[in-house]
Amino acid sequence: MEVRIIMGRHSIMNILVCVKQVPDLERIVVTHDAHGIASLALSDRFAMNRFDEFAVEQAVSIKESMTGVHIDVITVGPERSVQILKRAIGMGCNDGVHLATTANADPGPARVAAWIAQFARSGEYDLILCGVMSEDFMCGQVGPMAAALLNLPYSTQVMGMKISPDRADVSIEREIEGGTRELVDIPLPALLALQPGINRPRYPSLSNMLRANRHVFTTISTDTLEPMEVQVDCMGFSTPPHARAAQVITGSPLEKAEQMAALLKAKALI
Amino acid sequence: MKLNPASGPSAEDTMIDPVEIMLVAGCQKGRVDSEIYDLIAFGQRLQRMGAQGIGTRGIGTEAMGVWILGDDVGPAARDVARRTGVQVTAVQGIGLSGYLNETFRAVISREMEAVQPTFVCAGHTSRGWEWAPALAASTGAACVCGVDGLVESRGRICFQRDVYGGKAKGLYGSSAATTIITVQPGTFKFDPPAKSPPPAQSIHKEVVGSAGRTRFLGLKQGEADTSHMSSAPIIVAVGNGIGDQKNMELIHRLAKLLPRAEVAGTRIICDRGWLGYNRQVGVTGASVSPKLYLACGISGATQHVMGMRGAKFVIAINTDPLAPMFNEADICIVEDMIHFIPLLEDACARLAGNAEQDFVDSKTLRR
Repeated sequence: MEVRIIMGRHSIMNILVCVKQVPDLERIVVTHDAHGIASLALSDRFAMNRFDEFAVEQAVSIKESMTGVHIDVITVGPERSVQILKRAIGMGCNDGVHLATTANADPGPARVAAWIAQFARSGEYDLILCGVMSEDFMCGQVGPMAAALLNLPYSTQVMGMKISPDRADVSIEREIEGGTRELVDIPLPALLALQPGINRPRYPSLSNMLRANRHVFTTISTDTLEPMEVQVDCMGFSTPPHARAAQVITGSPLEKAEQMAALLKAKALI
Repeated sequence: MKLNPASGPSAEDTMIDPVEIMLVAGCQKGRVDSEIYDLIAFGQRLQRMGAQGIGTRGIGTEAMGVWILGDDVGPAARDVARRTGVQVTAVQGIGLSGYLNETFRAVISREMEAVQPTFVCAGHTSRGWEWAPALAASTGAACVCGVDGLVESRGRICFQRDVYGGKAKGLYGSSAATTIITVQPGTFKFDPPAKSPPPAQSIHKEVVGSAGRTRFLGLKQGEADTSHMSSAPIIVAVGNGIGDQKNMELIHRLAKLLPRAEVAGTRIICDRGWLGYNRQVGVTGASVSPKLYLACGISGATQHVMGMRGAKFVIAINTDPLAPMFNEADICIVEDMIHFIPLLEDACARLAGNAEQDFVDSKTLRR
């Protein structure tokens, strides 16, 4: 690290971006049996976790703003996950790593963090970026856990970041309740989990996508990584209870509109 | 696996009895995080389940303790101990005058070593959610974030939490010796005891040691002024279901139809710049309590719902009959807002027209 700081603007900055493939939430169907036990029918349409797009965009904009930046993107998941590595390359990342799982079930944040940390140890990364959480399991744990395992300083809910000219540290603004921001200085190397809205993620460019389609990704089977005891297990799902009356208006669209208008009138709102 | 207090890591720590349930909150400028009372209610639920023999390890009636970290903690700590009858440890010192996850983790992990808790609980807030998972990873504990319910399943304690944007609740069990939990604020309500509880101990500790790697520089107020949202009697809110920016016109037209209505949006709408952040409703935006909340094309993720729970009456319009927003609504309309809003406008216009007609008729009758 000292060597790089002395080298100044000729130094190379290595960034690792963590991304996850998630099912299309709008297509998930929750059904439940007579005992209230819910089962989920997942969609067969998958995409990059929306929150991770901000991490990819941030890395690419850093690469565009300074010289000598290299971006690796990493994901943990089954074979289909390679699609989102391609998308990340399409957005401007350099290289991709697929930690391939064989089981279809989600490994859970503790294992994902441990695997990413195992990989990251080999890479001398100055900055690790990830989204604030995944849309599907919403744990928000992989980033902080990986940082702890790598003994890196970190922050979450990052809504603004500025790397110092000597690349020794990063000044961040993290968004807290009510939109207030905490201002924190963090020395590099560090891990940051980014809040949506920190930037506007770009669409992959055609030329980059052509490159992505030919790209050969590094694939590592998670079976070859250090096994990890699972301490938290998902014991099932249930349907959320109604917090309010949840009265469903029925009829044709026109009838529904008329009923709603009548309701607004009854409440003296129109 | 309890440490004998007498053989604890340091003489200072021997003052504390071993606790099963460790509740952690912060305190800035003498004000303790409001979720501390939710945490105490959560801890009491855990204790009751333990007393019924639920859980992989008996929780029994063993002690529960509160840890408050921050600056000027003393009076706040004594207040919590007096009101709840729960033992409070107040920790202040270097690095605690502003929140840093690094300092929180260092202090709490040292306290954990001393008391060997089964559960460590914090609020599922921007701060608790930041330090808890990392502390779990470095101490070998398990971690469950965003817990909003406790249920029994097959003799085990299950932590309930939102998954898939709130479309389902996931039930999670832990087999770890220590589990770190972040609890959704507002989901467990503390009822003050009818009789004032026996006074609890309040212990004071100073953190000594060097500053960490990260530096807290201060707070910056959000640029978005959301005060006009808090006082609005009607809010027409829009979510991802709007699809395209050009459809935003529909929402503005609908709001014009309703007296003193404000337009609001979910995070995703403000992130795209379709509405300013001063119109964002949710955890990081405004918390609103209008007479009518009209949710158009909003899926109903927890982060949004937490900002509108105070609404008196909620109407939700969404194409997905399973959208979690419908669980928070009084009236549910399963329609595509893009097609539905024009129909609603016409229906409202017809009713308003009839109203004028009625008025004319009654005058005619009187004559």
